[in-house]
Amino acid sequence: MPYLGSEDIVKELKKALCNPHIQADRPRYRNVIQKVIRHMTQGVDVSSVFMEMVKASATVDIVQKKLVYLYMCTYAPLKPDLALLAINTLCKDCSDPNPMVRGLALRSMCSLRMPGVQEYIQQPILNGLRDKASYVRRVAVLGCAKMYNLHGDSEVDGALVNELYSLLRDQDPIVVVNCLRALEEILKQEGGVVINKPIAHHLLNRMPDLDQWGQAEVLGFLLRYQPRSEEELFAILNLLDSSLQSSSPAVVMAATKLFLILAKEFPHVQTDVLVRVKGPLLAACSSESRELCFAALCHVRRILRSLPGHFSSHYKKFFCSYSEPHYIKLQKVEVLCELVNDENVQQVLEELRDYCTDVSADLAQAAIFAIGGIARTYTDQCVQILTELLVLRQEHITSAVVQTFRNLVWLCPQCTEAICQALPGCEESIQDSEGKQALIWLLGVHGETIPNAPYVLEDFVENVKAETFPGVKMELLTALLRLFLSRPAECQDMLGRLLYYCIEEEKDMAIRDRGLFYYRLLLTGIDEVKQILCSPKSDPSLGLLEDQAERPVNSWASEFNTLVPMYSKACWAAISSLQVSEPRGPEPSGTGVLSPSGSLISENKAELQPLSDSGSFLLVPNGQLTAEQFEKTWLSLEVAHQEVLPWQGVAHPDTIQTALQMVNIQTIALSKAGVQPWKAYLSAQDGSGCVFLTELLLDPEHLQVRLSVKQSHVKAEALNSFISVLKTVIGTIVDIKS
Amino acid sequence: MIGGLFIYNHKGEVLISRVYRDDIGRNAVDAFRVNVIHARQQVRSPVTNIARTSFFHVKRSNIWLAAVTKQNVNAAMVFEFLYKMCDVMAAYFGKISEENIKNNFVLIYELLDEILDFGYPQNSETGALKTFITQQGIKSQHTKEEQSQITSQVTGQIGWRREGIKYRRNELFLDVLESVNLLMSPQGQVLSAHVSGRVVMKSYLSGMPECKFGMNDKIVIEKQGKGTADETGKSGKQSIAIDDCTFHQCVRLSKFDSERSISFIPPDGEFELMRYRTTKDIILPFRVIPLVREVGRTKLEVKVVIKSNFKPSLLAQKIEVRIPTPLNTSGVQVICMKGKAKYKASENAIVWKIKRMAGMKESQISAEIELLPTNDKKKWARPPISMNFEVPFAPSGLKVRYLKVFEPKLNYSDHDVIKWVRYIGRSGIYETRC
Repeated sequence: MPYLGSEDIVKELKKALCNPHIQADRPRYRNVIQKVIRHMTQGVDVSSVFMEMVKASATVDIVQKKLVYLYMCTYAPLKPDLALLAINTLCKDCSDPNPMVRGLALRSMCSLRMPGVQEYIQQPILNGLRDKASYVRRVAVLGCAKMYNLHGDSEVDGALVNELYSLLRDQDPIVVVNCLRALEEILKQEGGVVINKPIAHHLLNRMPDLDQWGQAEVLGFLLRYQPRSEEELFAILNLLDSSLQSSSPAVVMAATKLFLILAKEFPHVQTDVLVRVKGPLLAACSSESRELCFAALCHVRRILRSLPGHFSSHYKKFFCSYSEPHYIKLQKVEVLCELVNDENVQQVLEELRDYCTDVSADLAQAAIFAIGGIARTYTDQCVQILTELLVLRQEHITSAVVQTFRNLVWLCPQCTEAICQALPGCEESIQDSEGKQALIWLLGVHGETIPNAPYVLEDFVENVKAETFPGVKMELLTALLRLFLSRPAECQDMLGRLLYYCIEEEKDMAIRDRGLFYYRLLLTGIDEVKQILCSPKSDPSLGLLEDQAERPVNSWASEFNTLVPMYSKACWAAISSLQVSEPRGPEPSGTGVLSPSGSLISENKAELQPLSDSGSFLLVPNGQLTAEQFEKTWLSLEVAHQEVLPWQGVAHPDTIQTALQMVNIQTIALSKAGVQPWKAYLSAQDGSGCVFLTELLLDPEHLQVRLSVKQSHVKAEALNSFISVLKTVIGTIVDIKS
Repeated sequence: MIGGLFIYNHKGEVLISRVYRDDIGRNAVDAFRVNVIHARQQVRSPVTNIARTSFFHVKRSNIWLAAVTKQNVNAAMVFEFLYKMCDVMAAYFGKISEENIKNNFVLIYELLDEILDFGYPQNSETGALKTFITQQGIKSQHTKEEQSQITSQVTGQIGWRREGIKYRRNELFLDVLESVNLLMSPQGQVLSAHVSGRVVMKSYLSGMPECKFGMNDKIVIEKQGKGTADETGKSGKQSIAIDDCTFHQCVRLSKFDSERSISFIPPDGEFELMRYRTTKDIILPFRVIPLVREVGRTKLEVKVVIKSNFKPSLLAQKIEVRIPTPLNTSGVQVICMKGKAKYKASENAIVWKIKRMAGMKESQISAEIELLPTNDKKKWARPPISMNFEVPFAPSGLKVRYLKVFEPKLNYSDHDVIKWVRYIGRSGIYETRC
């Protein structure tokens, strides 16, 4: 935070740095340099003393050197010309007899982020790679990655890459791991470092020498390797067995992921692995390191999704303790709700009931929703507990209970009667919109069994002017109309008043329109209204509420041990969708690959899945191109693929356009039906920003359509996926016609 | 990989900021302060996403340490790294506090330079780091010996120990540190209890010593018991069942798996040999018996009895019982036979402290709490009574049976090594509901 007077400070520092007396007095000199760094940390711009700091780098004092280099790495991009002055000192240090000084100089030199530094660092890096001290080699290897990052567009130097590959056999374990990291960054465009059989086996043999960071990282790289045979696969799993028992949670998690992915065709092996890691995971869940505990709980929830009974006998481990942070408690409540079985349901429910009265409203509501989740299987017990909670007359509790009731009536109709008996009186202690909506909905749908339903709704109608939430008004309209159908005498008058209010006085257009719609509907006659409003509920929507379908282990194995389980679903979808739209190459996947198909996208477009059969390829809808842009791009590109497909009859532009729209392929231009020759131009874009341009040319004589595809970036895999999508669509259209 | 590391004080002022990757800008430092440290509500999660950047944070007393990244990284590793960093810093300058961080500002930058390069964790063993961190300052004129040390340290076969270590006195210290966790119902029923323990070793041994560690692990005792039937009766009871355990990298896991013996070449100095967890037959050092009676609407009578449950010859220390009081408390009268008790209005609790207490004793406190009449319908949630203490034994029952040292190349034997063993049991989360 730059604050007042920072200019004076810089001036004073400059004066002190120039003072020959201070320069002669080593501790004082170092003290001044420390002050500079301190101000830098606080965000004061001290770049104007760059010159003086460069001078200070020529010293035998290593600590002073380190400080000055830290300073230079921060400000070099701002003062590239002055930074060049420092290069000389750095180069000299690179050939110092002391390996520590060599390493320090090389590391700092590679971290200077300024144009033109490349030519100076290339030779020292190459020397460093062959240095006899492994400390320098470690630095040099990562230096290669830094150098490449500085000039991302430059050609990959084949000789350097080969040198790095050969350094994978270095005897120092950290050099080996650094090599993998560096290669991964340098070869980002080509999909990262290649792990073939010899490399994989070499890494496996080196595993015991590596420290925990190295082990975790290597396990991540091994995900790339696909064993040739079943024997090899099991040999690898055997070799890595000890990693599952490592003292480092990071290694355990990485090993688990590797096991799950390697054994993706052997479900029993996967189950075995999950049984093996139960101990370490439980230990992490009850450890004092709260953040790790949180991470472990997030992963436990993933596992429970596939193996619901997995932690059932350890349910007590997930009881909340009073002093735990909020985020752990919320996770534990979620876990508890998922591991109930016949034996522990009593204890778990008792525990959850205690949380319902917690001082934190968030936790209380979470616990109530958790009981609601359990109620899907153990309805009676849960409904009783929830009913008892209503006696407390607490706003947040009653609201959450009523919301839970609404979902329950929907999912377990057998409990309707009990719930209807519990409802009277709730209206007094509900203030929030969600709770009100739930209550009104319940009163509307099951009003015939709740004696005072019309009077409660009447209260809402009286106060409708003061109501602030539009959702509540909307719900009120629908509920009242429903209740009117079953108890017309009591409702007719107030329905009239409500409709009058909605149509004449309401400012929200959606509510007005709904009011008008109901009014006109009523004009057509009561029987029609009944038919429309009380027709059977749609069943697929039940699935949305339930969201409890068991998921196979393979559906989340690739997300295990990444950030995905740590964020809530909605949050992650937002993050990943933003990342997808960025026109960048594939993510460097050090520890986990961001698959471009965020789970949310594929869920929304469930009907498209059979069309785009490869899970990782998805076309994104925002590929809007104007006709001129299209023409320009079309002319500048080469044809990447050409194919001839069978075709019958005349093309109907509407059908084709709609069909293509379904899979997010835009139609740019299209001939009218029956015109000869009939042509169509299409464009589409995939998740990584690659654009596909397509021409369809109809040849009615031979009953054929010729398609030519051009691609903005050359990517064979994406092209094949795109063509298969396109072919499926064309195939479907032809099928409809014939 | 980690893009940057920041350390803040409780006010959100930056104490240390080190950026490793280009994609993390200066504004990331401020983003974390504004969105997490200065946020109104409670911390929602230790991982926060702000503008597509993930912030991982841990708190040590009132210091915030945050690791920042834009990649989809492996969360367990980042947290573990932050813990490791705290350990390394603590090994250099003790407690992590604002004052210590400010005073050791240069040292921390030096450490950050060594343990992370370009965002990738490098060597993080405190012992090995000592070679690279030069606290004394002017050290460029290295002696020949020291230089060769640096070279051999990193080219040697094992990463955690350098060759040629010499001590005049060969000594080792073993600490068995346990934290016992309990959640008990008001009726005295154990809802959950577990001990998480660590065996920490401090070794000052010359050469490359081969060590063998033995404890009263049930599986080992039973195996040996077969040979000498006489002993099973005696030692069988004293053995403990370990739920799971993990070891320092130096322990040969293959040997542990086959014969369950723990053998290793230790790093120099302090390290954590083993970490374990037990859930069966835990000795609960204290029993808390609460009695809460509501007298009318404005008075509450609380009586709490604590019983120590261990050998009378042992002494527990630093005992603290925390009895929560309702929010509308207006006054408290406390009577206790032993120790000192005080009502702390700011913490909404009666804190009862006893310096020492022998085993098999009992002590009690009674308090009258006067309440202000309120129209708040919210019921008092009755938080549990929590306890802190320290006892000189291992609540899991773990005993060190032997620790043997062999160094074939140098002329000292197992008998010449001076060994110290200490047991400390501390309370983790030790709560009794009332």
